[in-house]
Amino acid sequence: MKRFWALALKELRQIRRDRRLMISLIVPPTLQILLFGFALDSNVSHLKLGIVDESQTLESRELIRALTQNSTFTLTGAYPTAGALGQDLGVGRLDVGVIVPHDFTRRQTRGWPIVVQVLLNAANANTAQIAQGYVEGGIDFFNRQHAGGRAAPVGLRTALLYNPGLVNAWFIVTGVFGTLIILNGSLVSAATMIREKERGTVEQLLMTPASALEIVTAKMVPLFVLLMTMVLLVIGVARVVFGVPFRGSPGLLLAACAGCVLAGIGLGTLVSTFARSASQTQLISFFINPPLAMLSGGLTPIEAMPKWVQPLTHLNPIAHFSALARSVLIRGAGLDVVYPNLLALLALAAVFVSISAWRFRRQLA
Amino acid sequence: MRRIIAQTRKELTQLLRDRLALALALVLPLALTGLMGTTVSLTVTDIPIVIQDLDQTPLSRRYADAFRTSLTYRVVTLPAATSPERMLGGGRARAAIVIPEHFEREIRRGRPVEAQVLVDATDGNTAQLVRGSAGQVTRAFARQLGGAPTPTVQTATRLWFNPGRESRKFYGPGFLVLGLSIFPTVLAALAMSREGEQQTILQVYVSSISAHEFLLGKILTWMVVGVAQCLLLALLMFTLFGLRFAGDPTPLLVGSALFVFCVVSFGSLVGVAIPNQAAAVQAVALGGFLLSFLLSGLIFPIENIPDGLRWISSLVQARYYVVIVRDAFLQGGGWPAVWWAVLAIGAIGAAFYALAWCTLRRMQVKA
Repeated sequence: MKRFWALALKELRQIRRDRRLMISLIVPPTLQILLFGFALDSNVSHLKLGIVDESQTLESRELIRALTQNSTFTLTGAYPTAGALGQDLGVGRLDVGVIVPHDFTRRQTRGWPIVVQVLLNAANANTAQIAQGYVEGGIDFFNRQHAGGRAAPVGLRTALLYNPGLVNAWFIVTGVFGTLIILNGSLVSAATMIREKERGTVEQLLMTPASALEIVTAKMVPLFVLLMTMVLLVIGVARVVFGVPFRGSPGLLLAACAGCVLAGIGLGTLVSTFARSASQTQLISFFINPPLAMLSGGLTPIEAMPKWVQPLTHLNPIAHFSALARSVLIRGAGLDVVYPNLLALLALAAVFVSISAWRFRRQLA
Repeated sequence: MRRIIAQTRKELTQLLRDRLALALALVLPLALTGLMGTTVSLTVTDIPIVIQDLDQTPLSRRYADAFRTSLTYRVVTLPAATSPERMLGGGRARAAIVIPEHFEREIRRGRPVEAQVLVDATDGNTAQLVRGSAGQVTRAFARQLGGAPTPTVQTATRLWFNPGRESRKFYGPGFLVLGLSIFPTVLAALAMSREGEQQTILQVYVSSISAHEFLLGKILTWMVVGVAQCLLLALLMFTLFGLRFAGDPTPLLVGSALFVFCVVSFGSLVGVAIPNQAAAVQAVALGGFLLSFLLSGLIFPIENIPDGLRWISSLVQARYYVVIVRDAFLQGGGWPAVWWAVLAIGAIGAAFYALAWCTLRRMQVKA
């Protein structure tokens, strides 16, 4: 035990003296969570709407107002012909075009059906689908106002739970959180693990009476402590800057963070056992990190992925962490709900750490 | 000129001998673009929902069936004595439809009824989708019932450029841009910083080769690799993503050449400025990957970035290339639509080259 503490203390001092490592523990995670939280917003709003109003009457203008009354669409221009509108849609100056026919008012007063043409730039499928929903909703609103008091037999009232303001940053920040832990954790631990190998000081460690297992754990424990401090920093930013609600138990979240940090350390150590130099660990990370981050459900919903990919995300610690963080923080869920994710996370962490410790030991021996 | 070509040959030979770098150059861009382009999408189908039918009449069941037949939803059975909120809180459903008591009776009496949909808004985008399509289902159901005022104004929606609303056609070209922003840049930065790290750059300084020739030789090498990657990725667009040129492909050709020049110059600049391979790769990961990923409109629209950050995106070359690639494969607007983007990439590329040259000169004087 005394040997272990001596080694752990040595590691801690070594990390503390390495200014670049300390900076890379603090600056990139903070910067990344700020950038991601502010820049990634999938909410559909302020779509550029173009109008061809062939009718030019009070009623047609009222229809246009019904579409532009909320922030989804911004009226960008009125066009004389459908051709001109189509051209601007083609070059990307417009997202949506609405063409009101010339006999709009006449047909409306006689109660004949009117067809309004809606042109959508569907290049972005997601935006197009949401925009279509909003256009139809707006026109439905207009119809109801003009139905002469006769309401539709069935209406639908929407209640948005947990995040009624549709604050997208909550979704992104809770999703990016796990990615940050794993990516930065694995980078930092790979960097500290590879150093002994690069400088050839492994022999010196072997000459000490410490066993291989002691060496590995003594390397991991200080990293764990440091990375947990980084986690607290990120939690602080999420709370203070983005106002992410903390509805569930903080202990549960911290337990998940601990599991995630361990998984990150395991991954970094594993990478370092395959590499020969620091630049190689960085390159290997290029193979691993982007798929790990993108297939986590942190930024885009897992349900939107193809069916054959979805089971693979169960092997991704980030996926379990994001699911758990969202449940605990935003929905206020307890252990009874999130235990499968927590168990999976801890199991994955255990697997990563033991495989990497085993490989590290073998390379020492 | 001969000196430039000789240098390019030397670099390419060096690349062929380094297996990790070669995989990084040819296999990884393809694999990553293919994987991400097909898997990343914001549009959820098969959203799990629960239906709480408090009425249990033929009409209320018909309404519930309207949701069952919709492709957007997958109805999960609500266990007895479980509230819909619990299902949402446990993440087992994304939305819950609550059909009130006396649903049928009120409709038969001609009184308006209101059903309720509870949406888990944790993911704002999915919540917006659910809200829109639940409204559509309900309106269609109301129309079916008849007796309702037929809506006077109807919409005829036409989806342009991607009528099937396939998200892979949108994200595929986006990840082509991401692949091209990462890999040529990393390779160029590595090659450049290796010269600095191993001090072989001193040999270059004492040789008769000028800074321009040295830089152009390096850039030409990685442009060859970058163009090869671009062709491979374009092939992927045609096969895996089922895309075709929507219009005039010449803006794409010119834009791609300029873009590859631009990112390779950026990589060389990083490599010259940071004579340490590990640090150079990290810098590219931050500058090349993160900025192109976040601020180029690749997945999330640029318009949603707050004003304080949005100006940065006009300095990110990938932002312009995304416009060009999407236009070539989807909109087909040709030169009138994207000439400005091609010019912007050229300008940024020239700026990177000039910066790299200045840095190299300064280092040369110092050495």
